Amino acid sequence: MDNSSLAGSLFQRWLARNKYSKLRSAAPRRQGHCIECMKHLKLYFYLHSNLDPLTETYGIPFYLQYLAHWPEYFIVAEAPGGELMGYIMGKAEGSVAREEWHGHVTALSVAPEFRRLGLAAKLMEMLEEISERKGGFFVDLFVRVSNQVAVNMYKQLGYSVYRTVIEYYSASNGEPDEDAYDMRKALSSDTEKKSIVPIPHPVRPEDIE
Amino acid sequence: MAARGHVQDPNDRRLRPIYDYLDNGNNKMAIQQADKLLKKHKDLHCAKVLKAIGLQRTGKQDEAFSLAQEVATLEPTDDNSLQALTILYREMHRPELVTKLYEAAVKKVPLSEEYHSHLFMAYARVGEYKKMQQAGMALYKTVPKNPYYFWSVMSLVMQAISAQDEKLAQTMFLPLAERMVEKMVKEEKIEAEAEVQLYFMILERLGKYVEALDMVRGPLGEKLTSELQSRENKCMMMYQRLQLWPECNALSYKLLLKNPDEWQFYLSYFDSLFHLMDKSWSPPNEEEHCVEGPVQTTVAEAVKFVVDRMEEEDKKDSRPLRGPYMACLELIHRLRQRGCPDEEELGDPLELMLQFFGKFGDKPCCITDLKIYLHLLPPEQHTQFRNRLGELVPLGEVGEDGFGFPGDTKALQRHLCVCQLSRVLGLQHTLDTEGKLCLITELKAHYHYGLQFGKSCLKTELQFSDTYCLMVAHVYIDLWTETGDENMLWQCLGVLEEGLSYSPSNAQFKLLLLLLFCRLGAFQPVVDLYSSLDAKHVQHDTIGYLLTRYAGSLGQFAAASQSYNFSLRFFHSNQKDTSEYIIQAYKYGAFEKIPEFIAFRTRLNQSLHFAQVRTERMLLDLYTEADITSSLEESVKAMGLCPEEDDIPWDNMRDNRDLTVLFSWDPKDRELTEEHRRLSLEEESVWLKVRSLTLRLLASLALLRHAPSSRNSDKTNENGVSAKSSTLQTLLSQLDLTLQTAAQITEKQTQYPFLGPPSSRLASALSSGSCHCQASALQLSLTLQELETTGLGKMRDVDFRTTGLQPSVHLQKCKGEVLEMKNSRLMTQPSLLETLVFFVETVCVVLWVASYSASVLRPLNSTPVVLSGFQEWTGSLQGIVTQALDHVKGQEASLAALKLAALTLGVGHAQTQECGFTRAAMDKVQTSYLGSLQELGDLLRKRADSLKSLKF
Repeated sequence: MDNSSLAGSLFQRWLARNKYSKLRSAAPRRQGHCIECMKHLKLYFYLHSNLDPLTETYGIPFYLQYLAHWPEYFIVAEAPGGELMGYIMGKAEGSVAREEWHGHVTALSVAPEFRRLGLAAKLMEMLEEISERKGGFFVDLFVRVSNQVAVNMYKQLGYSVYRTVIEYYSASNGEPDEDAYDMRKALSSDTEKKSIVPIPHPVRPEDIE
Repeated sequence: MAARGHVQDPNDRRLRPIYDYLDNGNNKMAIQQADKLLKKHKDLHCAKVLKAIGLQRTGKQDEAFSLAQEVATLEPTDDNSLQALTILYREMHRPELVTKLYEAAVKKVPLSEEYHSHLFMAYARVGEYKKMQQAGMALYKTVPKNPYYFWSVMSLVMQAISAQDEKLAQTMFLPLAERMVEKMVKEEKIEAEAEVQLYFMILERLGKYVEALDMVRGPLGEKLTSELQSRENKCMMMYQRLQLWPECNALSYKLLLKNPDEWQFYLSYFDSLFHLMDKSWSPPNEEEHCVEGPVQTTVAEAVKFVVDRMEEEDKKDSRPLRGPYMACLELIHRLRQRGCPDEEELGDPLELMLQFFGKFGDKPCCITDLKIYLHLLPPEQHTQFRNRLGELVPLGEVGEDGFGFPGDTKALQRHLCVCQLSRVLGLQHTLDTEGKLCLITELKAHYHYGLQFGKSCLKTELQFSDTYCLMVAHVYIDLWTETGDENMLWQCLGVLEEGLSYSPSNAQFKLLLLLLFCRLGAFQPVVDLYSSLDAKHVQHDTIGYLLTRYAGSLGQFAAASQSYNFSLRFFHSNQKDTSEYIIQAYKYGAFEKIPEFIAFRTRLNQSLHFAQVRTERMLLDLYTEADITSSLEESVKAMGLCPEEDDIPWDNMRDNRDLTVLFSWDPKDRELTEEHRRLSLEEESVWLKVRSLTLRLLASLALLRHAPSSRNSDKTNENGVSAKSSTLQTLLSQLDLTLQTAAQITEKQTQYPFLGPPSSRLASALSSGSCHCQASALQLSLTLQELETTGLGKMRDVDFRTTGLQPSVHLQKCKGEVLEMKNSRLMTQPSLLETLVFFVETVCVVLWVASYSASVLRPLNSTPVVLSGFQEWTGSLQGIVTQALDHVKGQEASLAALKLAALTLGVGHAQTQECGFTRAAMDKVQTSYLGSLQELGDLLRKRADSLKSLKF
């Protein structure tokens, strides 16, 4: 998990050598809901307007990392007046052989003024479509067990709880804070919907890939 | 942690414990372990490097560096040493040394794919594009994998982007890149989407739009699959560049049918339609208009298209989309711009907006959407519009207080939207004082009533009725600015504090409170407010100015230093962070991101705010510490300040401040304009120039003080000193010029909207006399320096007095009461505080000059006349500082004696709670003023002490 680990980086062979042809990265174009095209450069400055306490503002490295690996999974919606309405950020990961290749929702955020317009659903739909094209078996996401509003929204969008991850979230002091639901929705590659059969026992964060 | 995929090397096993110690932050044990290992295995170079890492991390940079160089000169080729050195150099911020390391390794092991690629990445980290191009090719020749080839191509594109000479980019780098890709295309070797993207990027930059279009539409374009609508978007872009309006129109139409909410395509649909009309375009053949399908060329078709889209939405059972309804207003706007009468076919804008309100009025974004098209209503319709909107809001029965309230949150949101719209239309601004006070009563009643809907809200959630509270504050501010009645301001603070108590996460409350406290000169409460905003990352650049503009200028030096550090820490991490992800973008083939990442880094590096905090941070350290905790010379040296060096990108300064971070529903004529932005940047830049020149002048004064007396030194040293004095002279004349420009700027007396940018410190700096006083003190040091070299002969001419008297004039301007009670009203004069801070800064500068003067005079055995002149001067300085201290003490005493509790605020039972919040705000201001005065007094006392030591 920790990229800054010295031994980790010292021993890490350069695995990513030929990775880009597998990942098929692409230049992103924002689209969606009553929105306009914009360059990501603007985005970094946009995200600052996110003073909403419910939305996590990640460090710049975090955004850059996603933009460098999975630019197509970064979708931003802009209002006709130029305001940032919301964004979704995700990635593709997992083993194809084990049928675990899937899309993952890392962050989904809608500005308070633009809530209750169905924007989150639209952004999720787009992320699912991108994952479909990559041949993913499912899309998954983590959500705080207490965030009932979000859990219900994801259920409405066709997601179900696959498992509970114990103490997935930690407080700013590093202490364990809260459990997460790992929620999944099967994509068309998973014809038998095997990927979403719930695991009855909760797992620990170190046991998930 | 790290799992290794191959057989373990015994050295790895030996090194393992050192890695673990370093990972766990146990640097001392790592060094010990390395030493132990090196005793047994002298040639285990990696152990040396790991030891160096331990040394570096314990602050022994020099030792670490020489140890690392011992290994580096051996040109190691073992993986462990190379990687450890890479990490060490990175931590030392010497990425250029990594390139040397791998250059040597590649020479020794020319067939290593790994070292070649490390070399490429090392060049990427320092942006050596030409060498990257070569390294990429060398890599491809060693191992013919496509990514390597395209790394080389991308490096050519980067050479083009970074070329000073655009012609070179267009005639050499880009065509070469194009040919390299074409070669692969011809040989049918294109594999990945990333490669096609790069090809597109090159063609686009070359302006070869036709070729780009063909490529996207052709077989290569089929690889563009990751991103949604990738090909369509690229085609659209090319149609627009090539002004292929029929195609643009047809494609927009198609895409809108698929998704009638994609705003950008309405715009391109309308744009292309009017272009086609202007050209009276008609299809070459009836069956096929163009490759993209049918083209629309008449207003009638456009009207029908938009009306159809709206009808589709009306028919839907699910939530309607906003796009079509907004497109209708947009079309009216465009038709009106062209003077086209057909707009009537779409309907009356007033009715359409009412319809929009009917559908979306209960969404918070309704105001944001409608605001764009309010200009479609003639002013005489404004009141009617507001009233008609009001009719659409279901309110309960009118109660005793004369108000009816909404029964649920949807009705509340509608009512709020009407309030917001009437403010945007200027209907609130035209009310007289009485009317505004009534409005405040009404809004407050709604605010308090609405709180019941949010009783179960979490602390992190906003109250549904928060916006009423914010609007009350805005009306109070209107009243304050119109009447000058400070009571309005105190009540405004009270209402916001109350709002925050119910909705502790409301950022807008915090921002407005922060702004108001700053304007009142009370910085202490601001510190907590800002930290509770939890500003992060880019926010330190975009909204940090709210804090840093006032921190130092209000005499809260400790808080100022802290707030500069917040911002600086962010800016410094930016450089390192971005290079890491530029490299990742190469690895993953996100070529389009690379110029973006670099532009982002540049934008932060050239930030106005960055330059400001860097300069202010150093000035603050000098004012508060130089010649107190350490000498001016040492302080300057520790900062690495060089008077000749100007590191501020004056010509490319980027204003990243978010000047509209505070919500405003002011009508258009009161909004922040582009001109305001320009003037604010101009003003801030000139002020920054004054500050940065002052800083460099202080650095050069420190070097003068440091230089040995020229009479005892040889010729070369003399030259050195005169070079220094010429720097001083150049800087002084630059300062003089800048102050002239500054005077012209302040004459304009630019007023910004209240919620816009704060004025810079320029005007008060000039009017206090501080700039000129500092300049003439520094001028004196130049005179003394020149006399020192030419000899004592003219020493009599030195007139200490003119320089000496200015601070006393300056001090006069600080006199007055910062806070006082008059007729049971509380009055503030925050400008006095700011002037006092300038005075203290000036005292610092004058004392440094005095100390330099003493150092010149002491060895010269000066004549009694000169000496007595000097002593008279320092004596008068002493007097001024004592006076200032007395003034500060007096202010502190009268502030502490103010009994705010004696103030009667408002009447009636209902207002007691509100009064409590107002009182709390007043207390905060009083305490903050006291804090500022204490810090200023402390600094003055320390300066007075240093003055005593000057006597001889």
